[in-house]
Amino acid sequence: MNLISLFITSAIVNNIIFSQFLGACPFLGVSKKIDTAAGMGIAVIFVITLASVITYIVQKAILDTLGLQYLQTIMFILIIAALVQFVEMFLKKSAPGLYQALGIYLPLITTNCAVLGVAIINITKEYNFIEAMVNSVGTSLGFFIAIVLFAGVRDKVDNADLPESLKGSAISLVAAGLMSIAFLGFSGLQL
Amino acid sequence: MNKLDIFKNGITKENPILVQQVGMCATLAVTTSLLNGIGMGIAVIAVLTGSNIVISLLRKFIPDEVRIPAFVIIIAAFTTIVDLLMHAYTFALYQALGVFIPLIVVNCLILARAEAFAFKNGVVDSIIDGLGMGAGYLVAMILLSSVREFLGNGTLFGINVLPASYEPMMIAIQPPGAFIILGLLIGLVNYLSRRKKA
Amino acid sequence: MKNSYVRLGGILFLIAAISAGVLAFLNDSTKDLIAKNEAMAATSPEVLESVMPGSVMFNDYADAALVETIKSENGKFVNLQTAVDASNNELGYVVRTFSTVAGYGGDMELFVGISPEGKITGVNVVSHSETSGLGSRTTEPSFTSQFAGKDATAEITDFDAITGATKSSKSFLSAVNNAISIYDQYLK
Repeated sequence: MNLISLFITSAIVNNIIFSQFLGACPFLGVSKKIDTAAGMGIAVIFVITLASVITYIVQKAILDTLGLQYLQTIMFILIIAALVQFVEMFLKKSAPGLYQALGIYLPLITTNCAVLGVAIINITKEYNFIEAMVNSVGTSLGFFIAIVLFAGVRDKVDNADLPESLKGSAISLVAAGLMSIAFLGFSGLQL
Repeated sequence: MNKLDIFKNGITKENPILVQQVGMCATLAVTTSLLNGIGMGIAVIAVLTGSNIVISLLRKFIPDEVRIPAFVIIIAAFTTIVDLLMHAYTFALYQALGVFIPLIVVNCLILARAEAFAFKNGVVDSIIDGLGMGAGYLVAMILLSSVREFLGNGTLFGINVLPASYEPMMIAIQPPGAFIILGLLIGLVNYLSRRKKA
Repeated sequence: MKNSYVRLGGILFLIAAISAGVLAFLNDSTKDLIAKNEAMAATSPEVLESVMPGSVMFNDYADAALVETIKSENGKFVNLQTAVDASNNELGYVVRTFSTVAGYGGDMELFVGISPEGKITGVNVVSHSETSGLGSRTTEPSFTSQFAGKDATAEITDFDAITGATKSSKSFLSAVNNAISIYDQYLK
């Protein structure tokens, strides 16, 4: 498959949040501040890409050769958990400001469906290594775009005059739905 | 809390989807049909209750410092058990739920219950908590998927419920519909619970 | 200090090892069932449904000797299978055959589904070399569906050919009739 069309498909047409729903939890919980959202997005790009590389290699070199595919879930999630720990320690030392701003959301990247989801999808779609990389980077870039866009929208929405019941997640979800409609338009994109 | 309260808690006050709002990804993705929504709900009940039991049984044995990795291993094991069983015995449902079955392992709900309840309580209470939270999850899944299938397809369980002249609202089945309908559902729940308090 | 790390690591390892063991056991017990499910998914649902509605798989016919006999006596016969549904009930026969009358580009290869009561349940083209847009339209449901419900006890003579593709249509029909004669001769 053409790598460029794969990249654009992963990032936009099949946007990880608006189309595949993976990563919805942190997406909805993300701060209204665009720079924190951007920081989260970058952390996720880094974790997804690195996690995809490691899980792909582990799958091919260990799980497949030994016929241990049923251990995929356990191995993948442990790899991701360990990776997030390292990223946390790294950020604490080299970018303490960002580390503080991300707070609880950093360790929560471990339970971000997007990370494990992309790792598994790379295997089920039988991508080769390069395709898996392109898919991972494209997908996480899509996450970044979605999260930053949403932070911008969130700010306006939360300042709007709304009935009490709709405030908070209710209106966030509706807003996300409307953005999702916009992204649906991309499915007609011929690449 | 007495046993009944533990159970009811998961369905109403701390409903995983409508109140706590955890594990959204699967909720939004698989609720395109009532059957899939129920299937996923049952799978989650199985993993949640199973891991609650084991973690509660081992709570004196697992050291505090490594409890999170231990939880993760146990939850991942149960997720794989459910995955294998569905792959073998409920193949059509397995294909329909796809990647969201292994993704049960990152459903925050299960880790949260392990940490907040199972690690600190006896086995019987942990089973009830698991069943209660799972039931709450299932109820929300049923609500969301029946609305989506009904509006988007005119069917329930694949059976035509609305007259053939009904033009399905395709958007309900597509991703935007999931977001919007869930948002409105949560808004409704907020409204009802606020009225109850007043 | 170091001792406690070893202890912590040891406990985690123990939990992991037991989990892996349980999973290995479960994996082994479900392996065959899973393989069977995956194999069933391989024959396209559209083909299964159009040839024998309600079927999920075509299994090779139980009586292998009969299949060999048919092969030796009928030059255009390819294979005989049994269609089963999701509960493994047998739904009917599936005859795979070439046409006896050549079409524009040679023989067409068809699946013909026949119920145990001797009615054609559906037809699907496996391969053909007919002209695109003309003879190839014999693969379309608007053409193939006319055969469903017809008696498999006698040759079909009356049918609607595709306008401008008489040769392909006749070739198609001959394959259906070959399946019918096989049913009459060996399966009735």
